[in-house]
Amino acid sequence: MSDLIQYLFNGLVVGSIFAIAAVGISLLYSVLRLVNFAAGDFLTLGAFITYFLSVTLELNFFFSIVVSMLAGMGVSWFLELVLWRNLRRNKAGTLALFLVATGVALMLRPIIQFLFGTETRKFNVDIFKTYDFFGARIAHTQLLVLIFASASILTIALFISKARIGKDMRAYANNPGLASVSGINVDRVVLATWLISGALGSLAGVFQGLVQGQFNNAMGESLLLSFFAAVVLGTIGDAYGALVGGMLLGLFMELSQLSIFFGGVPSNYKPVVAFATLVLVLLFKPEGLFGYRARKV
Amino acid sequence: MTKNDSSQPLFNIENLHGGYGDIQILNGVTIKVPNKTIVTIVGPNGAGKSTILKAIYGIADVTSGSVTLNKDGAVTDVLATKPHNLSRIGVGYVPQIDNIFPALSIDENLEVGFVNFANTNLEQMRDDIYVRYPDLKRRSKDRAGTLSGGQRQMLAMARALMSSPSILLLDEPSAGLAPALVDQLFDELVKINQVGVTILMVEQNARRALGISDYGYVLDMGRNRHEGIGTSLVNDPEIVGIYLGKK
Repeated sequence: MSDLIQYLFNGLVVGSIFAIAAVGISLLYSVLRLVNFAAGDFLTLGAFITYFLSVTLELNFFFSIVVSMLAGMGVSWFLELVLWRNLRRNKAGTLALFLVATGVALMLRPIIQFLFGTETRKFNVDIFKTYDFFGARIAHTQLLVLIFASASILTIALFISKARIGKDMRAYANNPGLASVSGINVDRVVLATWLISGALGSLAGVFQGLVQGQFNNAMGESLLLSFFAAVVLGTIGDAYGALVGGMLLGLFMELSQLSIFFGGVPSNYKPVVAFATLVLVLLFKPEGLFGYRARKV
Repeated sequence: MTKNDSSQPLFNIENLHGGYGDIQILNGVTIKVPNKTIVTIVGPNGAGKSTILKAIYGIADVTSGSVTLNKDGAVTDVLATKPHNLSRIGVGYVPQIDNIFPALSIDENLEVGFVNFANTNLEQMRDDIYVRYPDLKRRSKDRAGTLSGGQRQMLAMARALMSSPSILLLDEPSAGLAPALVDQLFDELVKINQVGVTILMVEQNARRALGISDYGYVLDMGRNRHEGIGTSLVNDPEIVGIYLGKK
């Protein structure tokens, strides 16, 4: 029983981070038809900037997180202006965008390495402080992440569903041709999408760094494919779906360690669970959990 | 913007040439749409009817000619206005196909069509629309993709009306509708026009469209071929024979 609570809690924590990272990837895909291969490196960047500000410069931790989110937005904005906007004007296809995104990822990694080194880092928080909850051990950092990640997820969901720019984003994703002739400013929608995904990338990176306890410059890229699995699980391009898909995938990966699943999947095989989930979804429900088909007329 | 000339029509397409890349489709089209009228463009397939509207929205290329909006004492160069700003200056457009956002609710479809002017209010506008289209009100929270063909066309029109347009550009509004719905649609267009919205439409269903129009243009090979009062065109034996087909 305490095992179940432990893994359920771990799953919620991991899932909430997946949800935040996945929704950024999903929004970018839905608006730009861009598979953001660099998304993982934005997590690493966010974690390292927060580390630099809060540990090296000894600034306030929360302030550092906010600055790292702004930095993530800044880098995204810069890339939009110099790179993506021009590619769009030249009518680059999904494959071209994918290759450029891979290139961005391959450039970001050495830049991060150059700026922050290859050493393993940790935030200036007590990672050994734990609480006992019905026999499960819950780390202080996990609790913090769960609370702030849940608040973030709620904010994102509300933003996408209620804010006018969120509606414009969904409208553009749904029917770009109509959006651009019906008063929606496409460049503004695209920029908003980049800014959101940049901020969420940094935020997820800090959360992941907190939960891992320590991290190095390979943190983000090692998670990238799991994020893609979450995006596909929740229906590619569906923002709400990515939130749920991320949460579910995190829960699957943690709960698979329970002994009722083949005696418990060893924790270093967790990515296998993610990809097995991905393969099963693609085989049996390729449109994802929330795919729907519009009525044909 | 230049000083208004009151003899100018609300919407003026002057000697428009254009097409897609090297393919020239429009070879000098001139259409004048006086304020508060319904004007219809008819013509055989390939005459360039829809291309006129697409050129205005930058989907087709313009090589020469001008399109101007002459409203409230000011003349605006429509071709120099970015497509997403056209709804802001009072030009609404309902494309022939893919003219709704299927994944968004009906409420949201109307909201993204809304343009926030000083004297407009989203809730107020939407309520007015729902009074006019009770079918849409009943389904307001449903995804637009679940609507029937007729309801979709209604929603597409309603979305365009949310920007309080001076002129609505309609690309074959009756295409694909069941005959009973076609009558309903044209009745609806007359009602929209009666509240002061000018309409420029391109139609295959020439007889019905010209029947409700103040003025009509017959286009062929990307050029003006005939023009006249809507009902007189329908009764002109030459035009009927060549362009409208036997009844």
